[in-house]
Amino acid sequence: MDLKDRLAEIVGRDNIIDDPFLLESYAKDYSFVSGRAPSLVVYPQNKDQVQKIVRIANEIKMPIVPVSSGPPRFHGDTVPCKGGIIVDFSKMKRIIKIDPINRYVIIEPGVTYGELIPELRKHGLRLNIPLLPRASKSVVTSRLEREPVLIPKYQYDYLDPLLTLEVIFGTGDEFRTGSASGPGPLEILKADKVNPWGPGSIDFFRFLSGAQGTMGLVTWATIKVEVLPSLKNLYFIPVKSAREIVPPIDALLRKRVVDECLVLNNAFMAAILADNHVDYEKLRADLPPWVVLVCLAGYQRRPEERIAVMEKYLKEICTSIGVQAYTSLPGAEGRESRVLELLSNSWNKEPYWKLRFDGFCQDIFFLSPPSKVSKFVEIMNEVVTRFNYPKEEVRCYIQPMVQGRGYHCEFSLPYNIQQVEIVRRLFIVASEILIRDSAFFSRPYGLWAEMVYRQYPEGMRVLKKLKSIFDPNNILNPGKLCF
Amino acid sequence: MDTLEDYKYTMELCNRCGQCKWVLGPKFKGYKYAEICPIYMRYGYNAYSGQGLINIAQELLEGKLTYEDGLIQLIYSCTTCGACDINCKSIRDMEVLDTILALRAKCVEDGWGPMPKHKDYAQLVSESHNIYGKPHGNRLQWVPKDIQLSEDSDTAYFTGCTTAYLFPDIALNTIKILKAADIDFKVLTDEYCCGALLWRTGQREVAKKLAEHNLEVLRVQGIRTLITSCAYCYGTFKGFYPRIAKVDFKVLHISEVVQKMLKEEKLKFNKSIKMKVTYHDPCLLGRLSEEYIPWTGKIKAFGYHDPPKKWRRGTYGVYDAPREVLRAIPDIQLIEMPRNEENSFCCGGGGGVPDAFPDLALWIARERLDEAKSTGAEAIVSCCPFCKLNLERAIKILNEEIRYYDLTDLIIRAL
Amino acid sequence: MGLPKNVYKMFEDIVGPEYISDREYILAAYRHPLPNMPQKPVSPEAIVLPGNTEEVQKIVQLCNKYKIKYIPIVSGAWFDAYPTQPGTIILDLKRMNKILEINEEDCYAVIEPGVRHGQLKTELMKRGLSYPVVCAGPACSVLTSFACFSGDHMMQWSSSRTNRYLLGAEWVLPTGEVLKVGSLGYGAGWFCPDGPGPSLRGLLKGYVGWGGRLGVVTKVAIGLDAWKCAEEIPFEGRSPSYRVRIQDCARIPGCFKTFIFKFPSLDNVRDAIIEIGKAEIGFAVLKFFYATAGLLMTESANEFWELWNSCLLQKEMALALWIYLATWSPEEMSYEERVLMDIIKETGGEPIDESLRLKWQESVDFFFLNSFVQRTARLGGGWMPLMLSADSVFHMFEAAKKIPEFLNDFIAKGLILKAPDNFQIVPMEYGHLAHIELIIFYDRNLPESQKIPIYVINKSLETQIKYGYHTHMPPGTGPGIEKLGSLYSNYHIWVTKIKKAFDPNEVSGL
Repeated sequence: MDLKDRLAEIVGRDNIIDDPFLLESYAKDYSFVSGRAPSLVVYPQNKDQVQKIVRIANEIKMPIVPVSSGPPRFHGDTVPCKGGIIVDFSKMKRIIKIDPINRYVIIEPGVTYGELIPELRKHGLRLNIPLLPRASKSVVTSRLEREPVLIPKYQYDYLDPLLTLEVIFGTGDEFRTGSASGPGPLEILKADKVNPWGPGSIDFFRFLSGAQGTMGLVTWATIKVEVLPSLKNLYFIPVKSAREIVPPIDALLRKRVVDECLVLNNAFMAAILADNHVDYEKLRADLPPWVVLVCLAGYQRRPEERIAVMEKYLKEICTSIGVQAYTSLPGAEGRESRVLELLSNSWNKEPYWKLRFDGFCQDIFFLSPPSKVSKFVEIMNEVVTRFNYPKEEVRCYIQPMVQGRGYHCEFSLPYNIQQVEIVRRLFIVASEILIRDSAFFSRPYGLWAEMVYRQYPEGMRVLKKLKSIFDPNNILNPGKLCF
Repeated sequence: MDTLEDYKYTMELCNRCGQCKWVLGPKFKGYKYAEICPIYMRYGYNAYSGQGLINIAQELLEGKLTYEDGLIQLIYSCTTCGACDINCKSIRDMEVLDTILALRAKCVEDGWGPMPKHKDYAQLVSESHNIYGKPHGNRLQWVPKDIQLSEDSDTAYFTGCTTAYLFPDIALNTIKILKAADIDFKVLTDEYCCGALLWRTGQREVAKKLAEHNLEVLRVQGIRTLITSCAYCYGTFKGFYPRIAKVDFKVLHISEVVQKMLKEEKLKFNKSIKMKVTYHDPCLLGRLSEEYIPWTGKIKAFGYHDPPKKWRRGTYGVYDAPREVLRAIPDIQLIEMPRNEENSFCCGGGGGVPDAFPDLALWIARERLDEAKSTGAEAIVSCCPFCKLNLERAIKILNEEIRYYDLTDLIIRAL
Repeated sequence: MGLPKNVYKMFEDIVGPEYISDREYILAAYRHPLPNMPQKPVSPEAIVLPGNTEEVQKIVQLCNKYKIKYIPIVSGAWFDAYPTQPGTIILDLKRMNKILEINEEDCYAVIEPGVRHGQLKTELMKRGLSYPVVCAGPACSVLTSFACFSGDHMMQWSSSRTNRYLLGAEWVLPTGEVLKVGSLGYGAGWFCPDGPGPSLRGLLKGYVGWGGRLGVVTKVAIGLDAWKCAEEIPFEGRSPSYRVRIQDCARIPGCFKTFIFKFPSLDNVRDAIIEIGKAEIGFAVLKFFYATAGLLMTESANEFWELWNSCLLQKEMALALWIYLATWSPEEMSYEERVLMDIIKETGGEPIDESLRLKWQESVDFFFLNSFVQRTARLGGGWMPLMLSADSVFHMFEAAKKIPEFLNDFIAKGLILKAPDNFQIVPMEYGHLAHIELIIFYDRNLPESQKIPIYVINKSLETQIKYGYHTHMPPGTGPGIEKLGSLYSNYHIWVTKIKKAFDPNEVSGL
């Protein structure tokens, strides 16, 4: 029996694709990672099917590349390095449970932001979401990959709001993490499965994070949700330079004043707000160089009173620092409700906002402690200038994380087909310099992997040891990271 | 008298919480000056601590440990400052210091203790009734011939060996202060050594004999109130004598007397002393100065003491009197050290340590002087001749600028 | 048995003669059983006091070469610090005691194992900062509470347990390699524990730490929060009767308040917690142990019995919720108080006896020091915590309601103190999840008393398994994991593999 037949026996023939054109589309994405087309795309619908697929893969030493989100994809993590099959989780789309009392949701990996956000809203709940995820983006993958989220006060560490997981390891063994682990099988376990740690003295869920599917295939995840505010006010704090970004955010977060809290430069703001290219150019010119966006919220009880208290703090803090918070967006007055809408939802249109005006986009992102954010902005400015890439095109997004103790720094470089080589070289040089100057590339996609692990040989050795335990035949996304 | 077996409960109850080695929670002021046990600080092993010593005591009692020189040295490196005891008692019902003292007594009984230099004390007190081997007849040589003292007062001043023979100025100051306050008192004659160092080094039979003698002298002379200017004597009268016999006289420290006299306006400080000082609480005047109340009973289920036991937890030590006295002196500025009152850090002068381990005593004193200097004080003030002896020795050897004053020095200057 | 002379000499060459000993009287202080230990420990062969990471590394390498087990300890206040096999040495990390950095801008502190809670807490408070302070007491090691042990604390309502606050770390692996975890790995600083790629922080600690069984953690960075209360809190009184005044606790006058409410049932307590969590108010919110509360309120075992026999605690605190509010302004305090009262009214709460509440308000050990563990052995030394895991608030209360089912039998037989409500449920992250812990007290005078805790734990586990409740976090390693592993997704298989891969000579820890 050939592979396709064996897989068809597991998932059904309708859930296997072997169309060459479609297969070829997996061989690259918007990153600079090049790879090989898979031989098949398989769509499992439940954990048992996933397990059986993994067992076959071990038997015949066949690479598996997991995919859960729809295109466009940007990081190269789903581009097969060594061929094999794509296991596409998009048909595992169950929202298994929404619990408004205990504030969590259990979902399969195929559930997207486009589906989950409105569903939660019906229950008076919200997710701590990243900025403008595409509608087809898998929520589970986003959480596993430690993508930054908009509300830093709800994040107690970089894995938050991810809680427990069910996973099939590369060995084909099934496992559940944290309080989902037991005692006993799922059918009798009454725990709400919201304790992410353990079991015992290992945080298994952390091995699966930032892993690009190289340690195990997650078949469901529990994720924290929060109460949907009944009142929400959005404020804009314009600042002139990157140096002025952190102080107001730091002061606001130390007092837990704000919900959503992020910083966009004019190019980024223009890119997400503009209706068309002309509008984009105008907005970019009119908007302040940087805008700190913060939301104040009132929840179910006495919401106006809460907003009043937080507004007072906002005013006091801004005054003490010498900035001002506006309810209107300078340079884009009248679009405030659109901004609020963007902060509360996934990007539900085509094309994805990153690709609307130029066709291509390359992101450079990493983590920074608060004290170094402005330094890294300066470094990027210097590098783009060196490569004659227009500085004003760089779209910058700074996201405080984990109560403001770390910052996600993201620089999006839109480009057209003629600029590929320049942007590629810029990307490599900028990344090398940033790594050398202590920017933390915690999610080393594509070319970053070699740059990062070259500096971290002992970490690499330990990761390989773990890999040899959880995926001894290296069938899960081989060639990624240091594997 | 109590034996080591009496402290089995204490020995078994230790759960290594570490409180015997570190200052009490509310006393932490930051990173520095956070440790309280001098020998744990110095040597680092758990054995050198209240916890360690009671563990050793249990093993010795159960025959799991055998005597050897190193063990004896460890046991006698402890200054018996009692910080471990009071700290443990802040959260537990245990008798750490009494266990250590009973351990030392056992070492002596078994012929392994005390240290050679400590054996000298017993020899010297048996010959001359003081630990310095000086003529007993010279004990009261410091008393000025021209001073008018009562013959039949029921209040007596107990000089103490170290004051009498090494620091007679303290005694002289004290009686001048008492005279200035118009107190009717006598200087106790025929006093022997209070027995402090004998007691603290496990030579309890010798200490007991001294105590019996002094108690008899006090009884015969009809003394109802005993005043001392030595913290060690004070703490011994309060902490050891009730183990020997019923004590029916009041013991007061000169600071308590002066405190009272100032309140009653029978004393007044007229002269200014412009100085920044810090006050060092001597162990036996501070945390170890509460009266010992014998208890015999059973420790029942869940730690219940039947009959109920009156605990000495260091709450009611003589902390306020010296401070109030200092603050009453015009222009003096009193600055507290982080480790103060019931968490005063040992001066290194107690438990026979300076005689047996002079380097250790110097090390501990340096730590204390460092803390005193950190307050910005020009001088360290205390009420104990043993503290004076060790701290002044350290000041000299280390060439420190900070000065040491006995409280009586400053009182006299201010009167 | 003792270490061979040549091996002893090699250790001595690393640390110096002053910092290694195999004298029996030194070992005596490291092998004395804790009063509630089920069996007596084996004596270590030697005690070694390393002074820095390099020395630790060399020691560990030597241990691997000569197959000598080592246990790293600081205060040694739990069972993990005691050898169970001959041929074990103890690494007493007391000398590694520096606060290496307090970074106020980036909100982290870097410490070595010997830094104690009392030291770090007061240094940080001066700077308007704080961190999760576990209840072990001011003399215990901060690092072990983050990296090696458990990590719950009384104020975790508005923060979390130590797990979330553990950042970069330096770690001597069981074979002697030094691993830097997180952003520290390639020199990007201390601030992030996760990455690059799959997070090795997952290997360092799960719900609990390895207790020294997977090498020696020599430095950690811990995340810091803004401290809402005063930078220095004066205490009144003298040991053991310390008190704080509420006006001294607040950073701004009126911005620190304490409440304790009692409720008609556990369901009401639970519902109040859930609502307070959704409202996102409160500094500390927890259902505390009532018998342990009695220990914090009294100064001797006898005093505790007086209070316990008065039944005041049982009446007032068995179904009570402790709530501390701390805010940045009087307006915020008024707002939080109004919301709180709305919730309390809805859920049927009423204030407890005011004299009891005042005792809590003044309590140094509860609010400031978080040091109740020190006192739990006061009742004769027979005590044991059990359950010790976490899940949702709702689930913890469901499980708590079943406690009498397995506990009453022991109470009826007179084996343990009659305190079926002596459990705490300590929510974290504004009620997203909660830790549960039951403490039993037993009389050590009873014959075979050391077996009582094991019986209770087994019965508790049986009950929890029967109902499908997650209240026991299975142990990290050790003999227990084989028995329990199959109930917990066969985690024991993975733990065993990891332990074997990283500690092939089986020298690290018990």
